[in-house]
Amino acid sequence: MNPNQLPKSKSHKSSLEILEAVGRNAGLSLYALFALFPLVWMVLCTFKSDAQMYNTVFRFTPTLENYEAVLLGTDYFKAFLQNLAVSGGAVLLTVVAGVPAAYALARYDFKNKEGIAFQILSFKFAPEIMVILPVFLIFQKIGLYDTYLGLIWVYQLITMPLLIWVVRGYFEDISVEVEQAAQLDGYSWFDVFFKTLLPLIKPGLVASGLLAFIFAWNSFTFPLVLSGFKIQTITITSLRYIASDTVHYGQVAVASTIAVLPEIIACLFIQKHLVRGLSFGAVKG
Amino acid sequence: MAQIELVGVTKQYGSTKALNNVSLTIADNEFFVLFGPAGAGKTTLLKTIAGVEFPQEGLVKIGGEIVNHVEPMHRNVSMVFENYALYPHLSVYDNIASPMRSKLYKKDEATIKESVERVTRMMKIDQLLERKPSQLSNGQRQRVAIGRCLVREPNVFLMDEPLAHLDAKLRHFMRGELKEMQAAFNSTTIYVTHDYMEAMSLADRIAVLNSGEIVQLGTSQEMYYTPCNEFVATLFGEPEINIFPASPVWDNDRLYLTTLGQDVLFPLEPDVEAVLRNQNCPACDIGIRGGDVGFSFEKKPGWIAGTVYANEPIGNKVIMTADVGDTKIRLVAPNDTRADLDQPVYLGLNMKNAILFNAEDKTYIIRSDAERYTRAPVPQTAKG
Repeated sequence: MNPNQLPKSKSHKSSLEILEAVGRNAGLSLYALFALFPLVWMVLCTFKSDAQMYNTVFRFTPTLENYEAVLLGTDYFKAFLQNLAVSGGAVLLTVVAGVPAAYALARYDFKNKEGIAFQILSFKFAPEIMVILPVFLIFQKIGLYDTYLGLIWVYQLITMPLLIWVVRGYFEDISVEVEQAAQLDGYSWFDVFFKTLLPLIKPGLVASGLLAFIFAWNSFTFPLVLSGFKIQTITITSLRYIASDTVHYGQVAVASTIAVLPEIIACLFIQKHLVRGLSFGAVKG
Repeated sequence: MAQIELVGVTKQYGSTKALNNVSLTIADNEFFVLFGPAGAGKTTLLKTIAGVEFPQEGLVKIGGEIVNHVEPMHRNVSMVFENYALYPHLSVYDNIASPMRSKLYKKDEATIKESVERVTRMMKIDQLLERKPSQLSNGQRQRVAIGRCLVREPNVFLMDEPLAHLDAKLRHFMRGELKEMQAAFNSTTIYVTHDYMEAMSLADRIAVLNSGEIVQLGTSQEMYYTPCNEFVATLFGEPEINIFPASPVWDNDRLYLTTLGQDVLFPLEPDVEAVLRNQNCPACDIGIRGGDVGFSFEKKPGWIAGTVYANEPIGNKVIMTADVGDTKIRLVAPNDTRADLDQPVYLGLNMKNAILFNAEDKTYIIRSDAERYTRAPVPQTAKG
C-alpha cells in the first residue's frame, strides 16, 4: 500500500466521524431540551408570584415568597419525612421479601411457577383505583387505615413486581454450579448468598430498588385514600395548595420541586448501576 | 484419603433416570475414571458424591460414613466443574484463594499466597492472577478451575472433564501433571472424561457408564482387551473397533468362521473353539481393532478382498478404510502408505486378537488367551 494514501484516507474517515458525532450530539441535545423542559418550567414557576403565573413570556420578577409559604408556613417537612419513612420502609420490605422470592422463581422447579411469576407481575398492570376501595374497607376494619404498616404493605403492589422480575433475571444468569462451587469451598448457605450471589445481583438490585423507591415516593392514589390524618405523604400535601377559590401554582411547584430532589440525587449517584442494571445479563464468564 | 462407596444410588429428574441403582466402591488413593457418552450420568454421579445433588434412593459413604445428610461444605470434597463455575466478580487469585478463606478451611494469608502461587505456576497461569474470569480464554478458565480444586487437601478430588477445553499439547502436559500430583498427594480422585486416551492413561480403574448404569468396571487393559459388550468396545480405541457379523461353519469336525460374504474360512484358536462349541455355536460378531488388520495390494490366500474407500494420513500412521461388501473396515497402516480410491485391497484378519461377541445380545463371548493381558505387567504403551 502507498504510505502517502494512509493519512489521507484516515482523515477522510475522521471527518465523516466528526460529522456523525456532531449530528448525534445535536440530536441528543434537542431531545434533552425536550425532555427537561417540563422540569425547567416547574422550577421557573417556583420563582413566580401568583399574579405573574399566567404570563407566557419568560419575563417575571423572581420572588422567594412561594418557598417561604411552603417551607415555613406549612408542615411540609413533616410530610417529607413521613414520605421518606413510608417509601424507605416499602423498598426495604420489597428487597427483604422480593430477593428470596426472585431466587425461588429462578432456581426451584415448582408447580405453576410461570403462572405465579406472571401473577406477581400482573399486580403492576392493575390500576390502583380498581383495588383501592376493597383495600380501604379492609384496612378500616383491621385497623391499618392511616398507619405506616398499612401504606408500606399496600405499596408492595407497585414496588415488588419489578424488583422480583429484574432480580430473577440476574439469578437465572448465575449458573447453579457457581453456588455449588462455593458450597464445596466450605461456605455456608448464608455466606454463599452474601459473598457470591449478592455481588453478582447488585447492579439489578440497586437499579430495581431505586425504581421501586421512585414508584413508592410518587405514589398518589394509595396515600390519598388510605391515609391523610396521621400520615401525609408529599404527593398528598402538594394538593393542599389548591384551595377552593384559587390555585397557588407557585406553591404547588415548590412542593413538587423539592419532592423530586431525593430522586434526582439518588439517580445521579447510581447512574452507573442504573444503565447496566436494567439491561439484564450483566453476568458473563 | 478416603474410600468412597455408593450403594444402590438412584437419581431421577422427573421421569428420566439419571442414575439407576449404581453401586460402586472406590478405594482410598485410587484414581478412578468415569467414562461414557454424553448424558450417561457421569456428572450427576460426581455431584451426588459432592452433595450438591441428592439421590432419591441409595447411600453415599465417604470414608465409611454415610453422608447422605451431610452438607456439601462438611464433606471436604473439592470439585472441578465442567463449566468452570468461577466467581465472575473475583480475580483469578481470589478465585483460587476462595476455598482457603471460608470459615471452615481457613488459612492465614501467607499460606494462601504460597499455595496459590504453587498451583498457578503448575497450571501456567501465574501471569494472570489479577484478571477477572471474563478476561480469560476458555482454556485459562479451565486451568483456574483446576487450580481452585487442587489448592486444597480434601478427602476426594472430583474432576468433571477438567482438560476438555485445553489445546492438545497442554492437555497432554496436564495429564502428566495430574498423574504425578495424584501420586504425590496421596488422594482419592474421581475423574470424568469422554476421551478414552485420558481415561486409559490416568485410570487405576475405569467405570463405563451408559444411561445411568455401570456397564463395565475394570482396569484400562480390561476395557480395551476384554470389553463386556460391543458398546464398551467401540468406546475405546482409535480408529473405532471393526465389528461385523460372522457365522460359524463346520468343516472336517473343526469350527471355522465365515464373514462378510467372503469365501474364506477363518480358523479359530482352540480355546475359542471350545467355548463356541460349549455355547452351541451361536451366531457371533467379530470385533477386531485396526491394528490387527493387515493389508496388501496383492492377492493372498486366506485374505479377504475389498476396495480402498479412504486413506487418511494422521502423522505417525495412516488410517485406511476399506469397503468389503457393505461393511467398512478401518485399519492402521504405516505412514508411507499410498493408495488410490477404489483400488482393490486385500485384508488379513489376525483372528488371534479378535474379540467375539454374541450377535443376539452383543455381549462378550471370548477372545483367545485373554489372560495374557492381565497375567504379566503390560506397559501403558501397549495399546492401539
